[in-house]
Amino acid sequence: MKLTIDRTTVEAQPGQTILQVARAHGIYIPTLCYHEKTGAASKCRVCAVVVEGMRGLQLACSVPAKDGMVIHTDTAEARDTQRLVVNLLLSTGTHDCLACEKNGVCELQDAAYHLGIMKPAFVIDSGRGEERPDDSSAFIVRDHARCIACGRCVVSCSKNVINRVLDFGYRGSETRVICDDDRPMGDSSCVQCGECVQLCPVGALVEKKAIGKARTWELSKVRTTCPYCGVGCQLDLHVKGEQIVKVTGVEEGLPNRGYLCVKGRFGYDFPYAEDRLKTPLIKENGAFRPASWDEALDLVASKFKDIIAQSGPDAVAGVSCARSINEDSYQMQKLFRAVFRTNNIDHCART
Amino acid sequence: MILAPELRAQIEEIAGRYPDRRSALLPALHLAQRSLGGCVQADGVAEVASILGLPLAAAFGVQSYYTMFNRQPIGRYHLQLDVNVPAMLAGADALLAHLEQVLGIRAGQTTPDGLFTLSTVQDLGSCGTCPVLQVNDRYYENLTPARADELLTHLRRGQMPDWQPEAAWGSSCNILLRRRGNPKARELAEYRKTGGYQALEKALGMTPEALVAEVKAAALRGRGGAGFPAGMKWGFLPKEGNRPVYMICNADEGEPGTFKDRQIMEFDPHLLLEGLTIAGLAVGSRLGFIYIRGEFAWIAEILERAAEQARQAKLLGNDILGRGKEFEVLVHLGAGAYVCGEETALIESLEGKRGCPRVKPPFPASAGLYGCPTIVNNVETLACVPTIVQHGAEAFKKLGTPNNHGPKIFGISGHVKRPGTYEHPLGTSLDALLAEAGGVQGKLKAIIVGGLSVPILTAAEAAGLKMDYDSCLKAGTMLGSGGVIVMNETTSIPAVALRAMEFYAHESCGQCAPCSRGSHTVLALLRRLVAGRGSQADIEAVLHLCKRIKGSTLCPTGDAFSVPIEAMVRKFRPEFEALVR
Ligand SMILES: Cc1cc2nc3c(=O)[nH]c(=O)nc-3n(C[C@H](O)[C@H](O)[C@H](O)COP(=O)(O)O)c2cc1C
Ligand code: SF4
Ligand code: SF4
Repeated sequence: MKLTIDRTTVEAQPGQTILQVARAHGIYIPTLCYHEKTGAASKCRVCAVVVEGMRGLQLACSVPAKDGMVIHTDTAEARDTQRLVVNLLLSTGTHDCLACEKNGVCELQDAAYHLGIMKPAFVIDSGRGEERPDDSSAFIVRDHARCIACGRCVVSCSKNVINRVLDFGYRGSETRVICDDDRPMGDSSCVQCGECVQLCPVGALVEKKAIGKARTWELSKVRTTCPYCGVGCQLDLHVKGEQIVKVTGVEEGLPNRGYLCVKGRFGYDFPYAEDRLKTPLIKENGAFRPASWDEALDLVASKFKDIIAQSGPDAVAGVSCARSINEDSYQMQKLFRAVFRTNNIDHCART
Repeated sequence: MILAPELRAQIEEIAGRYPDRRSALLPALHLAQRSLGGCVQADGVAEVASILGLPLAAAFGVQSYYTMFNRQPIGRYHLQLDVNVPAMLAGADALLAHLEQVLGIRAGQTTPDGLFTLSTVQDLGSCGTCPVLQVNDRYYENLTPARADELLTHLRRGQMPDWQPEAAWGSSCNILLRRRGNPKARELAEYRKTGGYQALEKALGMTPEALVAEVKAAALRGRGGAGFPAGMKWGFLPKEGNRPVYMICNADEGEPGTFKDRQIMEFDPHLLLEGLTIAGLAVGSRLGFIYIRGEFAWIAEILERAAEQARQAKLLGNDILGRGKEFEVLVHLGAGAYVCGEETALIESLEGKRGCPRVKPPFPASAGLYGCPTIVNNVETLACVPTIVQHGAEAFKKLGTPNNHGPKIFGISGHVKRPGTYEHPLGTSLDALLAEAGGVQGKLKAIIVGGLSVPILTAAEAAGLKMDYDSCLKAGTMLGSGGVIVMNETTSIPAVALRAMEFYAHESCGQCAPCSRGSHTVLALLRRLVAGRGSQADIEAVLHLCKRIKGSTLCPTGDAFSVPIEAMVRKFRPEFEALVR
């Protein structure tokens, strides 16, 4: 089916919303509370558009596309509402982009830029006082003053990763996202999976270890597979030069669709660890000494041979690493079954 | 464990009454608060959450949403003074100053001896009898500073006196307020002796279709504010399907200026039960709820008692009057949230959640409570149903004006000599109502005819107004709930606007950006103006915001403040300008 958005005719698939059609064709409609994974919440109201033949403004995130629909995202009426929302959010929060980790990849900033808003339209006391960000947890910093209450983190924590740590507390302009019974995140039942950070459209939830490490435009993304376990989650390393600054899950990647666990998302320090092994070590007289790969492998092979000669093949067993690829695991079991002639072969991700 | 075993058992028992255990969250928090001496802290919330199988964040999110739930210890007597518009017009500010002075504390504080906590609250639904002070669960109405001193003396002695308010009322229809003056009417025997439950007997002999048709023919318009035809709403229910249908009575009555439903519930509870039961039969529901605002706890008890009497007499239950029809009623207490009067927020609240309105569609008739087809009607709407069934649609339509039929309770507050509730046919003239309320004290300056969320009228605009839905719309306002707030020439409209905005900013559910952030911003601007620190640009900003917020929010609450505030600024602009110079 076909519809018209801002005088351009575009193709749409059944089941798509106006927003999805627009995005598929690179047409920008400001959004804040919408995320594919959390769905249309209809809360921020910033994606207000005019649909010919429908009364009042419509929300692009919620209205299904229909053949022949004529949509305007840029009439005075639609723009007024889009600007109202952005202006109100800017006026009632602390949006000091200069000091914000999300500068450059912030959906609120994008909307303001797109709508030509240079500074908040209303100068009032935000009523939020001087509350300090919550940096009590190991890997996440929460800043209520930057929060726009879009609810993406709440939905993702309670319905997607089902950790049920986050919810909304209080009400009116005092509404805010709480952990458990509004305790610091570090004292809460949060498992630091970081999904909430990944979905935050603004700088209210950021990765603690990345703070101050790089401007967003200095980062390049390197897609890779998580090295920790056999699930093989897809992730992006955000690197500045040779340095990993942070890790995010690949939203469109299988098997994890952006979800990661605490290790995959935050456990990326080991490449830089001073005490990591760089050569094989051989223990002699109670102490390790560095050795070459050939020497080490020869030693292992000769010891296996000795043991099998003395006590038979069932005296040895193999445990393959969960992080190895299928081909390596296959060869490992082949080595034990066909060469060593034992069935003592297992895998560390069995539990 | 901090909750006593009996209490835990009671919570379990309550949870079992509802189709979904989570619905017991508000009742459980009320019970826990009562048994823990006025507040439930972290350990208590965690226990309630675990009994009901809820995440802690969900339970705390609910507790912190509703104003009646205290999370910090409070004094033995919690003095809650209503300071919203009708109370302000009746002198609540002076009473607040007096209380602060005699208690030696400010609002929000507790006396050092732990006896009194003083709070200001937004609207207690006693607009005709304010100033009103809620002390723990009890209302003390028609207060003056001298009377408040007397009350404090009693409280210091550990006594909660049983004072009945002096409330004026009148009726020319004798339908909704027919038994208002009869103190025995709460009893089933008396209700039946005066003609009660005859309509239900008749209804039991009618098909659901015939009942819906009768109410449709009567063109009964919803009395909750929007005036939507009840029969038509009932007709929206899906014709087939095996999901249960729920019938909800909206008794949240939280809008400043509105205090009509309590007249029915408090003085003629069986009238509501009869109407609700007939409505339940008409829509094929077997379970009905009365969602009543938490502050009206004693009225909830009256309703529960009446329901128990009805149950005993087989007027409720699984075999009503031996005719094989089934209907049961649960009375459910809210906990201090105006937005829970909005039907989808009410449904969320009844499900044990924060009172945040849902996106419509789907409408409750197709997916409401627990996702099932649900009808929500106002108390007064349902109280009209027995007379329609008993005497027929034609008789009902004889009252009122075309398209605006039947009786209406008008609640008159503010600057009149006899504030109170008066039942007359729709279309009665405003002048006649004001005259019945003893006339305006001083010279009429402005009037709000349908509760705080409708546009204000100047004295000139109000002259000759007929009080029905269509006439009010034509006059540029709305009949709303029929709560009439009268303001004489001593009233400062900017002060009224500020007080109104304090209410809406406090009550916004906080869910959608234009309302939660917009109400906060308009409030900040009005505060600055009224404090004499504002500018011409602030007046423009208020108008700009109101214009844009209108129609842009998730539920009608955004309109409920943007429309009336805009009208106040537009119609009384010189008063706002005077604050700038
Ligand atoms: C913010 C808000 C508050 C409301 N409060 C009430 C209320 O206290 N009582 C009520 O009956 N309706 C209230 N309503 C209207 C209800 O949403 C609903 O329309 C009404 O209960 C339907 O009943 P009726 O058709 O019998 O009038 C409110 C609506 C809004 C938007
Ligand atoms: S890090 Fe994971 S568990 Fe913790 S709050 Fe965020 S989404 Fe919930
Ligand atoms: S308009 Fe929005 S914030 Fe206001 S009460 Fe309705 S849903 Fe909540």
